[in-house]
Amino acid sequence: MAKDITILIAGSAGQGIQTIGALLARICHNAGLFIFSTDEFESRIRGGHSFHQLRISTQALGAPSRHIDILVAINEREYEVHKDRLKKNGIVLINTDKEQSADSRVFHLPFDAAAKESGGVIASNTVAAGAILAIIGAEFKEFEAVLKDNFKGKSEDIFKLNLTAAQKGYDMGKAVDFPKYFDFDGKSHHHVVMSGAKAAALGALAADCRFFSFYPMSPGTGIITNVVKYADTLPIVIEQAEDELAAINMAMGASFAGVRSLTSTSGGGFCLMTEGIGLAAMTETPVVIINAQRPGPATGLATRTAQPDLLFTIHSSQDEFPRFVFAPGTVLETFNSVKKAFYLSEKYQVPAIVLMDQFLADSARTESEPFQTGFEHESFLDLETSMSQNKASQNQVSQDQIYLRYKQTDTGISPRRVPCQSEGLVRATGNEHSEEGLSTEDPENRTAMVEKRFKKLPLMKDEIKMPSIFCDGSAFYLTGWGSAKGSIMEACLHLREQGIEVGWIIFEDIWPMDSHKLTKLLENKKLIMVEANVTCQMGNLIRQMTGIDYMSSILKYDGRPIYPEYIIEKVKQIMGK
Amino acid sequence: MATTKFDIENENQWCPGCGNFSILQAMKKAFIAKALEPKDLFIVSGIGQAGKTPHFMACNMLHGLHGRALPLATGAKIANHRLNILVNSGDGDCYGEGGNHFLAAIRRNIDITLLVHNNRVYGLTKGQASPTTALGRQTEMQNKGTVSSPFNPIATALVTGAGFVAKGFSGNIEQLSGLIVEAMNHKGFSMIDIDQPCVSFNKINTHLWYKERVFDLKETGHDPADYEKALKVAHMGEDKIPTGVIYKAHTLAFHERFDVLKKKPLFDYNFDKTRMDEILTRA
Repeated sequence: MAKDITILIAGSAGQGIQTIGALLARICHNAGLFIFSTDEFESRIRGGHSFHQLRISTQALGAPSRHIDILVAINEREYEVHKDRLKKNGIVLINTDKEQSADSRVFHLPFDAAAKESGGVIASNTVAAGAILAIIGAEFKEFEAVLKDNFKGKSEDIFKLNLTAAQKGYDMGKAVDFPKYFDFDGKSHHHVVMSGAKAAALGALAADCRFFSFYPMSPGTGIITNVVKYADTLPIVIEQAEDELAAINMAMGASFAGVRSLTSTSGGGFCLMTEGIGLAAMTETPVVIINAQRPGPATGLATRTAQPDLLFTIHSSQDEFPRFVFAPGTVLETFNSVKKAFYLSEKYQVPAIVLMDQFLADSARTESEPFQTGFEHESFLDLETSMSQNKASQNQVSQDQIYLRYKQTDTGISPRRVPCQSEGLVRATGNEHSEEGLSTEDPENRTAMVEKRFKKLPLMKDEIKMPSIFCDGSAFYLTGWGSAKGSIMEACLHLREQGIEVGWIIFEDIWPMDSHKLTKLLENKKLIMVEANVTCQMGNLIRQMTGIDYMSSILKYDGRPIYPEYIIEKVKQIMGK
Repeated sequence: MATTKFDIENENQWCPGCGNFSILQAMKKAFIAKALEPKDLFIVSGIGQAGKTPHFMACNMLHGLHGRALPLATGAKIANHRLNILVNSGDGDCYGEGGNHFLAAIRRNIDITLLVHNNRVYGLTKGQASPTTALGRQTEMQNKGTVSSPFNPIATALVTGAGFVAKGFSGNIEQLSGLIVEAMNHKGFSMIDIDQPCVSFNKINTHLWYKERVFDLKETGHDPADYEKALKVAHMGEDKIPTGVIYKAHTLAFHERFDVLKKKPLFDYNFDKTRMDEILTRA
């Protein structure tokens, strides 16, 4: 039987609640336990209500849980905010030196006072971590080892302060009556705990991306932040642009000159980038863009999560052109989707967009599959190889000195060259152009060039992975995309345990959609859409592409993640149970 | 002018008498003086009549979006700083739509040469006021006269920290080609704001109007190393229009500020799979 608990640590911005979570996560990870952590915070640097939620299990996790086993209120008022989510047998730890509560589930623990005694109130979060670790069954020596590592290189005094604070917290926790939960003598495994943001960053680096441009915007910036520490050891340049218009144009300029490039942003910034996406399409310049979605319109909820940009993304920028859109649902999928975006963007010379969201970018989870440099596509070349092939093909045509950047071919893909590397001149323009890349308004040329760009479409469709189907033959299917994946899967398995005949259909590669294949796949299936937007965008897209209408929908647009419990409750309502 | 290796058989779309022809000629002259081949040149441009410039000469070219030539050129230069990159932009493209990028390019000191074809009017969209149109000037659109003061690109470039600021005039090809050579030789961001007439939509700032006002700073003994004097030159007004190098100072170019780029261009590195595997194993 799997053991599975959720700890919620609530406080204000600036109180170090994420630090507590990170300590706990690390110790659990070292003991071979699986974790899933999420952060929810307000768009402010100090104060307000923030929380870090850590789910720990003996089995793999794909989603957070709505129900709390241990609620840790760093400020007393947080108890009121979150108490409705507490399980019947859950407990509450409140940071206060007040007398013990009459409620046997509520423990008043003086984290601040214990930290002061240890030498500084700053170590209050270490006290809290110690208490929680004692309660869930960790040995103190495990905590000590992690602290030692954390404070490596810092002054001995700071380490001692925290160690004393940790011991005081641990002793406090020992006194709390809670059944010992986990065995911490498990072996550490080769799994990793990683956020979606970091996975995206590593995916880009593994695809030999060398230039990263961005304009700061939550939650898209986290992806670039995760690249920073590699800038000393890999040949990369990260540049903070003056705005998102510059960010995408810089990425495109670098790509045009032969270096793989990425830009990362969120809803509003993506809006600004749309003109650049059109330029990438018209000039047939590869570029990869990550849109980490957040609720809008306008500023909306700057630090929250949603899936509201699906239709906007597949249609972004004026007029029509082919593009790739991916929506990974897990950390490993994020890594692979970003790599795939680079590969396909370059192969087809089109823009590729990876849709993430705040929930996927900021949550960290145990991932048991390995992350690999290689690629499932054998033809995926590193930059060096692709460029040397490029140079070889350039030499063949260098005698006549004429290079047709937009040469008509059967596939619509013209041999690509970068400027100043051969006699043949590389000429590109955002205006409609001839094969030579010179602007022309000739109607026959215009028609031929539109058709050239769209010749790629059927081939691009073949690159798209069809949605995964679980339990084919089910009475109905929870259907979703992107970051809702983990919650859909967990809800589905839970409902099946209760005898409900439900499967799932989950989209990871979104666009271009092959309506023929998709119709065949979805025919006669009853779909309950699960999406974090108000108009059921994927449901409508499926209907538009296949004529198949969804049966029902579970939509959530409060800016918070979709929890498995929410889906379960709504499915039961739909079924009248 | 004699034919050059930069000539190209492509119908020129500018109006007869346009100042752009002289700018194009000065560019070709400068490239020949620098012994460059068409394949050695990468010209990035924005939108407007100036944006069309690379279409009319033999060179590598990326003709981008309105206002965005500088970020495109910046990205390309970061990718491969061996490239000779010039940007052809106009007063609307560079100082209007692309104003933020103009400031940022100066601050980055990215090693490219910016040529702004400044005719004080929007030509391609038929005669609206531009950021450099004089206050009160009537146009078909601004029929009671413009209500915004003109933008001063030279003063702005100077106070933003530009290391090479010059003013050219399309009516003096000899001087302009020399300025382009000097700008390209400057390591770091270099800009030449080029006064030019618009024969179709600007009936005030004509070739003759400029001719009567321009003078060469060299003849006045101006010292381009003197920042204070340069600022004064930038604020001389319209009665006398100074041309030539206004200010010149060397600071490290963008690519000289990155250790990774000091070794070689990003474009020249090889993918280090072993290193990447290590990173993934330890992630």
